[in-house]
Amino acid sequence: MSLKDLISPFYVWQRAFEKPYTQKRPIEDRPGAPRYRGFHMNSEECIGCGTCESICQNHAIDMVPVEGLEQRAGDSGLRPRFDYGRCCWCALCVDICTTRSLHLSNHYAWVTEDPDAFHFTAGTDAMPWNQNSLGYRRDDDYHLLVHDRVEMQALSAEESVAGFDEVMRGYTEEEAVLEADRCVECGICVATCPAHMAIPDYIRTVRKGDYEAGLRLLYETNPFSSTCGRICTHRCETVCVMGYQGDPIAIRWLKRAIVDRVPQEKYREILGDEVEENGKTVGVIGAGPGGMSAAYYLRRQGYAVTVYEAQARAGGMLRYGVPSYRLPDNQLDKDLEYIRSLGVEMRFNTQVGRDIPFTQLLDEHDALFLAVGLNQPSALRIAGEEHPRVLSGLRVLDDVASGKDPGVGKRVAVIGGGNVAMDAARVSRRLGAEVDVLYRRRIEDMPADPEEIRESQAEGCTLVPQAIPVEIRNASDSNQVTIVWGEAEMVADDKGGRPRPVLQEDRMHEETYDCIIAAIGQGGQIDFIPAEFRDRIEFKWNKFVPGDYQQTGLEKLFVGGDIANSRADAISAIEDGHHAARGIHRFLSGALDG
Amino acid sequence: MNTVEEILDFAIDREQQAADFYSNLAERVSSAWMKDMLLGFSKEEMRHKGKLKSVKLGDKLLNADQHVQDLKIADYTVDVEPAEDISLQDALIVAMKREKAAYRLYSDMAANIDDPELKSLFLGLAQEEAKHKLYFEVQYDEQIMRDN
Repeated sequence: MSLKDLISPFYVWQRAFEKPYTQKRPIEDRPGAPRYRGFHMNSEECIGCGTCESICQNHAIDMVPVEGLEQRAGDSGLRPRFDYGRCCWCALCVDICTTRSLHLSNHYAWVTEDPDAFHFTAGTDAMPWNQNSLGYRRDDDYHLLVHDRVEMQALSAEESVAGFDEVMRGYTEEEAVLEADRCVECGICVATCPAHMAIPDYIRTVRKGDYEAGLRLLYETNPFSSTCGRICTHRCETVCVMGYQGDPIAIRWLKRAIVDRVPQEKYREILGDEVEENGKTVGVIGAGPGGMSAAYYLRRQGYAVTVYEAQARAGGMLRYGVPSYRLPDNQLDKDLEYIRSLGVEMRFNTQVGRDIPFTQLLDEHDALFLAVGLNQPSALRIAGEEHPRVLSGLRVLDDVASGKDPGVGKRVAVIGGGNVAMDAARVSRRLGAEVDVLYRRRIEDMPADPEEIRESQAEGCTLVPQAIPVEIRNASDSNQVTIVWGEAEMVADDKGGRPRPVLQEDRMHEETYDCIIAAIGQGGQIDFIPAEFRDRIEFKWNKFVPGDYQQTGLEKLFVGGDIANSRADAISAIEDGHHAARGIHRFLSGALDG
Repeated sequence: MNTVEEILDFAIDREQQAADFYSNLAERVSSAWMKDMLLGFSKEEMRHKGKLKSVKLGDKLLNADQHVQDLKIADYTVDVEPAEDISLQDALIVAMKREKAAYRLYSDMAANIDDPELKSLFLGLAQEEAKHKLYFEVQYDEQIMRDN
């Protein structure tokens, strides 16, 4: 071995004192491309629908609670948490995002020695790229979701006003599947539905064509599915995530699509409702949606149920207040007859307080559910109201439902902006009248369903907003009536309520009509409850204030429906009935104290 | 009434009369529901009375210049009788109109007096009554004319 061979290994030491050939932090100062798919960002538009989580092929996203963020209508309160040990930055989550809140920044370097650090909740955790304005965003013309609703066939406005045929004609099977296909199954709608119906699940049954499974799901929470498939106020659709970039899913129509395809004769077999008598009895006061919903769920629990109804038929306002062009009688009957088929005893033409004392019902039954609704029309209480050509909206609708001619004439003024007013107006159009609808506030303030407002206008009703009726006078023709109304200025409500109309006395108008239909609101009638129970039942204004499970301080009495909630719609009454049935069962089985 | 004390005593007495009016009516009505409502109105008047008593002890009334919204519902609704079968709607009308009458009374008194201190006091009392009227008008708007 030569000397050179012996000392050559030591030559390497001279390298120890040279400058390094590699860069110490090679990725510094190399920004990503403007549309680089870097780290995730989430804006405040996120409502926690979880569609990103569903589409992620690598299970890199979990929807998690976030401190300080509460669940509320239309927001799950959850936010996407990313696991960068799984993410492949495919950006499907961005492409599917229903609110377009999710983006990718063009940051791509995240250096840490902690191997568990690569989890973060986008938009919530403070990350260096949160303010990044570059990175991948979905193009405006690129959509993974179908934004346009499959419209339901409907009668034209001309065909509608020609009679009382149902306006909405229903989905074909193909249309229903196409509409169901649009649903991303996020379930945001479930919390908003007063009955918390299993909406994504029953929409899935439509997609599969499994209507029997769909019916079973509907009846878990709503025995008025044919009715609600037509006239529900569909609060669920107001929060549907598909509504952020397009049309919300037609949830109401998909419910109808199920019920329309199952004949009533098959209900018992499909639903498998078997009643095992438990020996206890429950009285239900009022055969509207609240009362009959309670009757259904109580009967399923084995209670002997007797329903006391002042009218000759069941249905309450659904029968006497909703015209057949929106809810045909046979569809309401489909719901009611199935409930009755379980053995519910009906006592029609029996008004509690007049035909039978309240205390007798209290003595005869183990529990009572009261859902008498709001059936007393508020008076106008303006001068001249007693004129014979001033009619009540409820009376007009009742007459039409009962096959009588309410005699509205050829020129009608309807006062009010709720559903009763809209229906009174549309009924009058069908009876051949020209109709003006006088409303004290603006059209956007009308409490009627938007569809009702739109359809009434399409059918030729003229809406006159910010019109305050102040006096009714005799017209020169004794068969007519004159109304004096003044224009209203809207003023803001200091406490955040809806703007309030204020009469402008210098802008008054006078108009003559064949009749005036007053539909300004309704109240309840509960005078049949004896004074001796007053201290045990809580009221606020004209409503009951029930406790847990709709129970009152009078332990055997449970209340629900319009007389006990502020929403005053059918689906809320149905839920009250269901909730009270659970409460009564707990009460009578000792699980719920008085 | 020539002194602040006398005027406040007069106003306190009126609030007591209003409270008595509602509690007496509550005794007469047949509906348990309305009885509760009217007793609530009576309590509201007693609350007003309590406020005036505290003014006597040094608290301030509403500023006479402060704007209180007038919805004018009391102007175009008809007079109703406080009968035994009074409804919620009619009870609210009675209440609105009583507050309106009190507002007018104090406004007229203010207009007919020269003493600036007493004028300001009457105007302050009128503003209080206007506020009470607004309360009942808002309830009428919300509870009765829900669809209008």
